[in-house]
Amino acid sequence: MRSTPKTRPRRAPRWLGPLLAIAVSGTLIGAAITHFPKAPIGPRYVGAGIDEPRSGGTFVFAEGSNIYTLDPHFAYDTLSTAASRLLYDGLLDYDYEGNMIPSLAARLPEVSPDGTVFLFELRDGIKFHNGREVTAEDVSWSMHRLLSESVGSPGYPFFKSIDGAEAYHSGKAQSIKGIRVLGEKQIEFRLGEPDQTFLNAMAMPFSYPIAREHVERLEREGGRDAVGRHPIGTGPFAFDRWERGVQVEFVRFEEYWNPKPRPDRMVFLENIASDLASARFRGGGLDILFRPSKVNRLFFRSSTIWAPYRAEAPSPSVYAIGLNCDLPPFDNVHVRRAVAFAIDRAKLQALDQGSVVPATQVLPPMLPPYDPELRTRQIFDLDRAKEEMRIAGYPDGLPEPVTLWVRGEGDIRIAQLFQQDLKPIGIELKLKQVSFATYLKETGKPRVAQAALTGWHQDFPDPSNFMDILFHSRSIHPENSENRSFYQNEELDRILDKARAEVSRDKRLALYRKANEILADDAPWAFLYYPVDMFVWQPYVKNFRTHPVWQQEYRNVWLDLPRRRVSETIYRDNSTP
Amino acid sequence: MTRFLLQRAFWGLGVVLTLVTIVFFLIFVAGDPAATILGPQARAEQIADFKAKKGLDRPLWEQFLSYLGVTHCVRTDSPKYRNAEGERGYCGLLQGDLGESYSHHEAVSQVIAYRLPRTLLLGTMAILFELAIGLTAGVVAALRRNHWTDTVIMFSTFAGISLPTYVTGPLALLLFAFLLGWFPVGGYGVDPLSHIYHAVLPAFILAIAGAATYARVMRGELVETLRHDHVRTAQAKGLRPAAVVVRHALRNALIPVVTLIGLSLPLLVGGAIITEKIFAWPGLGLLTIESIHTLDAPVIMAVVLMFGIAVQVGNLLADVMVAALDPRIRLGD
Repeated sequence: MRSTPKTRPRRAPRWLGPLLAIAVSGTLIGAAITHFPKAPIGPRYVGAGIDEPRSGGTFVFAEGSNIYTLDPHFAYDTLSTAASRLLYDGLLDYDYEGNMIPSLAARLPEVSPDGTVFLFELRDGIKFHNGREVTAEDVSWSMHRLLSESVGSPGYPFFKSIDGAEAYHSGKAQSIKGIRVLGEKQIEFRLGEPDQTFLNAMAMPFSYPIAREHVERLEREGGRDAVGRHPIGTGPFAFDRWERGVQVEFVRFEEYWNPKPRPDRMVFLENIASDLASARFRGGGLDILFRPSKVNRLFFRSSTIWAPYRAEAPSPSVYAIGLNCDLPPFDNVHVRRAVAFAIDRAKLQALDQGSVVPATQVLPPMLPPYDPELRTRQIFDLDRAKEEMRIAGYPDGLPEPVTLWVRGEGDIRIAQLFQQDLKPIGIELKLKQVSFATYLKETGKPRVAQAALTGWHQDFPDPSNFMDILFHSRSIHPENSENRSFYQNEELDRILDKARAEVSRDKRLALYRKANEILADDAPWAFLYYPVDMFVWQPYVKNFRTHPVWQQEYRNVWLDLPRRRVSETIYRDNSTP
Repeated sequence: MTRFLLQRAFWGLGVVLTLVTIVFFLIFVAGDPAATILGPQARAEQIADFKAKKGLDRPLWEQFLSYLGVTHCVRTDSPKYRNAEGERGYCGLLQGDLGESYSHHEAVSQVIAYRLPRTLLLGTMAILFELAIGLTAGVVAALRRNHWTDTVIMFSTFAGISLPTYVTGPLALLLFAFLLGWFPVGGYGVDPLSHIYHAVLPAFILAIAGAATYARVMRGELVETLRHDHVRTAQAKGLRPAAVVVRHALRNALIPVVTLIGLSLPLLVGGAIITEKIFAWPGLGLLTIESIHTLDAPVIMAVVLMFGIAVQVGNLLADVMVAALDPRIRLGD
């Protein structure tokens, strides 16, 4: 006899659902606590233990966003710059102490006494990845490409001091008057006016030479954008393949002019956010980790096992509250100073668990003439803050609240600290959260935002890159002002203009020291902190050092392979590999 | 039927055009694309150069008409958009040209061409998981109505619908990828097999809510259908229970499910924004977030356009499929 489907079976009791929910959750949590594997506490792999540097292996690193281009003339974001550093070289570079050194140039350039003519000589035997030797003509052609209006590189403003660059950029001249090829290996740059930041610009990725015949062929076949997807440079690694948005792969360039032991292959993973990158690294899937997620940063900092493979270095950046000097109440220098003295920066340090260093002035600590003992440095001093409020004519505080423009959740978190800090001096702070796009658009206009959380990351290591851009009155425009505090000081303008042209390094530094003092004292920004970057690497990664200019500098690492997997138990016994 | 399809296509086009218009103007309300693309370090001069190069310095209505392709091309720098005499030609949506991405430095169609197949793979796997898990669970729950199996399944579907992806995703990553090591910790992989392997976990997470919905709908419909006279007749004829369910009950019960499948087709294209972000899956979802963040207007427009079209096509397909399955429904009446 066949049974029929049951349409009216016995009803299950009503309490069964909740009971099951509790039982299942309890079992899962219990199992998680007792049976699930633990997160690895030490490196999963160690090296072969051979100290002799050698080439070989694949080095894998990751970033949380896209690489937008591999064309150095468009490399204006940190990821494109990091990738360009593997593919290309400039005439000049920086060593690990931040000093300028020759790279493709045989030596530092000869400079005329008035500081306007720079004569470079190229090294012998430098080759592009297609095997052709680099000449001065290549440098000149690359500079012309960079500065042409039709290419539209964002690098143009850094080089406009070259004589004739503006005329060429606007299409009024066929070539740049100030660039002259003097021989196969010699090239001269003449500036329209003295500009000591020119050499810094010549060390930026924008100035890296690229192979003309390759670019012209690509532009003929695939449009200008093709250069950024199939690059040819002179760097230690040549381009191999790019799965867009996923990873770029590079192979070691055998004919590189500066042969050193290096990995055979570099793999740059894109779009791996910091929490995923941290998990991958701890599982042995990445060779180096830059900026771990917050939880992992605390883990690595407290781990003695990881201590030999960890480095923390201040980033060449500064963060601050920008105070609009064109709007009340911050058109009054005493109110600005009061804010600068009222912020307790130690709280910020505590909030971010040591990932920031309190900022006292606009220049970050690695950039001369930073001075820890600067006479006018901004520090937490509530009595002085109250005194400044009294001098400003507000002994009982401001009658109206002040609005601080902030962007993401991270900004809100620290801005709430400032709300507490400013209460004792009678300033009520209201927060206005806006999108990144709105923030950029509105804070660049005069007389819109009273105060805004702001910051700056250096383009190149020179004080002018902080001071000229952020505080010179020339940087104020009806829209998109770089000087977002709309601070104007004729004395400062004069000092900055003089320093920019000054050939003597000592005299330049003295001028910037004076400017630094004025800016801390006049407080168009209440300086908050300098961020600290963390790197953690696997034990088999050798010769990694943090670089004061290039955020992710991996061109000199080598790998102690083959790597060996180690058991977690050795860490649980409190030993190190 | 033809009249119905034409009517729907007409209205669909109208909806998509309206959507495109609204989003175009919203982008410029949100901020200045040139300043946002170049970032907080940009000089005013760089921003002005960028605007001139991309035609962003022209009146907004002019930019919009040019984006649509009804007036001359705004972009003047590229020889691609000039005729032999060097005069500007037409480029824009009506010419099938989505423009050039501000941040990716290449044609938007190229950027989409990289990302779309990845999102389609994830979406297809997610829909397959949804159907496999949801329908099976729904049928079992219906056949075991009020049995403890039914209670467990319905409780699970309740949990599945209630738990958002941003809770289940990171938990699944932590457990199955980081701690147990069964799956990769996010990413996409480099060859077809590894793409599928990388997609399993995000597709499963993406499928949870859908599977739960299918299970509930399937159960409800099947329980209802099993009470119908024709099912009872089939049982009375002495058919095997499995044959009764599969041939007589399931077919009718599937009609609302088919509607749901049609409605979930846009998931293939745009349903995975959060999941893609959590699992670092470099598809259209992740592209959407990035392009909104950088205000890469041509990419935002293209993505919105695709999502709009996907929703229209999904709805249309659902209607057509239901009409094909249910002879009582006549389209266009």
